[in-house]
Amino acid sequence: MATISFDLVSPENLVFNDEVGTIIVPGKDGDLGILPGHSKVMSSLRPGRVMVYSEDKNLIKSFFVSGGFAEINPEKCIVLAESVVEVNSLEKTSIEKEIQELENKEGKESEEQLSVAKAKLEAINVNYYDKI
Amino acid sequence: MPSLKDIKTQINSVGSTKKITSAMKMVAASKLRRSQEKAEAARPYSSRLEEMLSSLASSAASGEGIIKLLTGTGNDQNYVVVPVSADRGLCGGFNSSINRETFKLVKSLEGNGKKVQLMPVGKKSRDFFNRVMKDQIIESFVDLNVSSTGYESALNISNQLQELYFDGKFDKCILVFNKFKSAISQEVTQQQLIPLDVSNSEKEEEKENSSNAIYDYEPDEETILKDLLPKNVSIQIFKVLLESDAGEQGARMAAMDNATRNAGEMIDSLTLKYNRTRQAFITKELIEIISGAESI
Repeated sequence: MATISFDLVSPENLVFNDEVGTIIVPGKDGDLGILPGHSKVMSSLRPGRVMVYSEDKNLIKSFFVSGGFAEINPEKCIVLAESVVEVNSLEKTSIEKEIQELENKEGKESEEQLSVAKAKLEAINVNYYDKI
Repeated sequence: MPSLKDIKTQINSVGSTKKITSAMKMVAASKLRRSQEKAEAARPYSSRLEEMLSSLASSAASGEGIIKLLTGTGNDQNYVVVPVSADRGLCGGFNSSINRETFKLVKSLEGNGKKVQLMPVGKKSRDFFNRVMKDQIIESFVDLNVSSTGYESALNISNQLQELYFDGKFDKCILVFNKFKSAISQEVTQQQLIPLDVSNSEKEEEKENSSNAIYDYEPDEETILKDLLPKNVSIQIFKVLLESDAGEQGARMAAMDNATRNAGEMIDSLTLKYNRTRQAFITKELIEIISGAESI
C-alpha cells in the first residue's frame, strides 16, 4: 500500500513529519479521513484529535489541536495548528479544573478557551478511531 | 603625572570590564544560536500560511468584517506604527536605529497630514517614545521574552491590534523592526501588517498557479479566509519578534566583541605607560642617589 507524507506544524516548530498510511483530521464540518491519493482539499479545523496511522492501520500517534488548517493533496497532507499536544500527555484533572475556572468567567475570549478545553476533555475520554 | 598606583588601578578596572564584556559576548553568542533555531523552526508554519493565503486572497471580494484585514478600510488617514526594539541595551545601534527610523516615519506621515499612533514593543523604544511623543502611545509591550514564552506573546499583541482595528481606531498598521540578515548585520525594515500586503506572495502564486488552482475548500473559501487572516496577523508578528530577538543577540555579540577588543587595546597601552612611568621613577631615583653621593 502507498503512503502519504504528513506534516504537523505549529508556530513554534515542526511537530511531526513522516510517511504514513492514514490520517484523520477534525475538519470544521466533520472529520476527514485522508488516504494516499486524496483529492486536493483545503479545510479549516475545529478543536479535536489528529490521528496518525501506519500503513497497516495501526495508530501511531494522536495529537490534540486547538484548531487550524489542513492542506491536502494526493501526495502530501499538511496540518497547521496553533497549539499541538499529544493526547497522551493531557491531564484530565488539570483540564477539568481549567473548565471550572473558565465557566465562571465571562467574555468572548474565555468562551473560546472553554470550547477548546471541553474539546480537550472529550479527546481524552473518547476512543473511537483508536482502531480503524 | 599619574602615580604608578593610579595606572595600576586603571589597568585593573579596564581588565574587569573586559572580562564582563567577553562574558556577555559569549552569552549573546549562545543565545543567538538558540534564537536562530527558534526563528528557523517557525519558518515552515509561516511560509505555509502565506501560501494558503495567497491562493485564497483572490476570493476576497467584499470588504466586510474580518476580510477587512485583507482589503483595508478604504481609508488611510489613521496609522499605527509598531516599533519593535529590545528590552535591554548594550547592543550597539540596534535600538537607536529602530527609534530613529520610526521617528522619521512618524514625522513623514504626519507631514502628509496623517494621524499616527504608536504601539512600541520593548523597553528601549517605549522609553524613547515616552520621552518624545508620549501622547501618541496607545499601548506598549515590554518584557515579552519571545524565546521563552513563544507564540503567546505574539498573540497578545495581535489581539490588541485587531480589536483596535475592528473598532475603527486605525486604517493601517506598520511594523518597524530589525530584520536578521546574518549574525553581524541587521537591517531596519518596515512591513505593512494591516491591511495585508499580498503583492509579494502573489508573485509566488503565479509560479505555482497550476498546483494551487484546483483545491476544494471546506467549508468554503470565505470561511477559511476568515479563520486564516487573524492567524496570519499573529504569525507575522511572531515572526518579526523572533527575527528581532535573533537580531538583538547578534547585535549584542558584535558590540561586545568590539568592546572586548577595545578593552584589550586599552590595557596594552596602559601597560606600556605603566612600564615607562616605572622606568622614569627608577631613573630619577638613581640620579638622586648618584648626585647625592657626588656631593659628599
